[in-house]
Amino acid sequence: MRHPTDGTLRRLLDEPAGVADADREHVARCPVCLSGLAAARQDAAITGAALDVRPDVDVEAGWQRLHRTVGSTAHRRAPAAARAPRWRAALRSPVVAAVAVLALLAGASAAAAGNWLQIFHTERIAPVTLPQADLVALPDLSAYGEVKMTERANVREVADAAEAERVSGLTLPRVAQLPRGVRGEPTFQVGDRTSAEFTFSVDKARQTAEAAGKPLPEPPAGLDGSQFRLSAGPGVAAVWSAGREVPNLIVARMAAPTVYSSGVEFATARDYLLSLPGLPENVASQLRHYTGDGATLPLPVNARYLTAATADVHGSPATVLTSRDGVLAGVVWVQGGTVTAVAGPLSADEVLSVARGLRWNR
Amino acid sequence: MVVGSTPAGREGVRADLEQVFRTTYPRVVGVAARVLGSRAEAEDVAQEVFLAFGRSSVPAGQAVGWLSVAAAHTALNQVRSRRRRAAREQVAGDLDAVCPDVADTVVTRDERRRVRAALARLPRRQAVALLLRHSGLSYAEVAAALDLSPGSVGTTVRRAESALREELNRHASSD
Repeated sequence: MRHPTDGTLRRLLDEPAGVADADREHVARCPVCLSGLAAARQDAAITGAALDVRPDVDVEAGWQRLHRTVGSTAHRRAPAAARAPRWRAALRSPVVAAVAVLALLAGASAAAAGNWLQIFHTERIAPVTLPQADLVALPDLSAYGEVKMTERANVREVADAAEAERVSGLTLPRVAQLPRGVRGEPTFQVGDRTSAEFTFSVDKARQTAEAAGKPLPEPPAGLDGSQFRLSAGPGVAAVWSAGREVPNLIVARMAAPTVYSSGVEFATARDYLLSLPGLPENVASQLRHYTGDGATLPLPVNARYLTAATADVHGSPATVLTSRDGVLAGVVWVQGGTVTAVAGPLSADEVLSVARGLRWNR
Repeated sequence: MVVGSTPAGREGVRADLEQVFRTTYPRVVGVAARVLGSRAEAEDVAQEVFLAFGRSSVPAGQAVGWLSVAAAHTALNQVRSRRRRAAREQVAGDLDAVCPDVADTVVTRDERRRVRAALARLPRRQAVALLLRHSGLSYAEVAAALDLSPGSVGTTVRRAESALREELNRHASSD
């Protein structure tokens, strides 16, 4: 009879009942197999000792932790049916749509035919203060074509800063000194990269123009059906909320928005889009001002609720937004392709102080 | 054994998550702890794995195997991710001083490091089979979890143990 395999000898140590009688009888009488069995036993013992880790696990605490995580992510993720409309609504809302349009418009003329080319990469943010009427009048992207979300943020809470950094790939700075009234440990949230594809449609643009009672200017060749991909993120945030609904302080970072073109001559598209009826002249003129370098993301600011000022954070130009009622303030700046923001129910001085005091080594 | 997936509940999480969690959590933490040597890190891995399981439609009867394999892979991935290891060890080193890990009393930190490194150098399937077997899964369970024939589980485990011993010896002699 042939010798049983090493695997059979190994199983004989653990589950002798799982080994055929003939094999067991053979091994018991075979010096070669007995030697092999002894070697297997020795290796199993060494491995058993090396892997003899028996952590004292608190199942209840573990379940509570998972339950919290599931609850917080379910709150943001689910139900899926509700998520999509919310995104569409976000894109339709004037401010978000304006950001998208502005990012789309703010391209350099570097695009060429062929593959997706990066035509816009945020290096700076500039506030574009618009009156409420103009913001409301601002058409969203779907007025000019098809908008399709291709990647969703899936914002979720994670266990700690290390996990947040691992998931997002972004460094989360430490706050050197918390503002007065902000206490405790933050929770950490991450969001994946968000992307949308916009396909320009002359038909849709014409409908929008006609709705505004104006004829559509003759579109340049190649624009109909040309595609743009807008993406932002991933992102990460530390949130001090002390169990309350409204956080006391948020420190967030996000890979800066970029726009890719499937190959249209972007300066042509930009000039054309800015000439379309439906875009308030006040908006168009401010956009023209910012669309030259392909690196400045105009941040639409609703003049009714917010005031914008500029400041300096670690040598980067920053935009400080303050609510007119003085309750909220935020500061946002771009450095190295990453947008960083500090915001909360604080004064402008306080958010600037936090921003300037951020420490980048954990 | 009941084999059947559980439909997702209202929050998009399968309805049997709590039941599966309470019966399998210690084992899943154990699988990860055998790789990482740290209860805290193993619990992090287990949380991640159960979260994924909660959103999956893995049949309930395959839960233990699925969770164990996922915990083994996730923990081994962490070991291979050197950057993260370095950062975490710095933090873990600080924490261990305050709250000694159970694992510390069993194997010294240096030995743990050697075991971790040796496991990470094994062929992945061998390493996972080894971890599952030494975490108490039967040959049949290991076979089902790794899609092996029951007969080849012994062979895979035997090779893995032999390779692990050689790895540990090699590094013990080179230290």
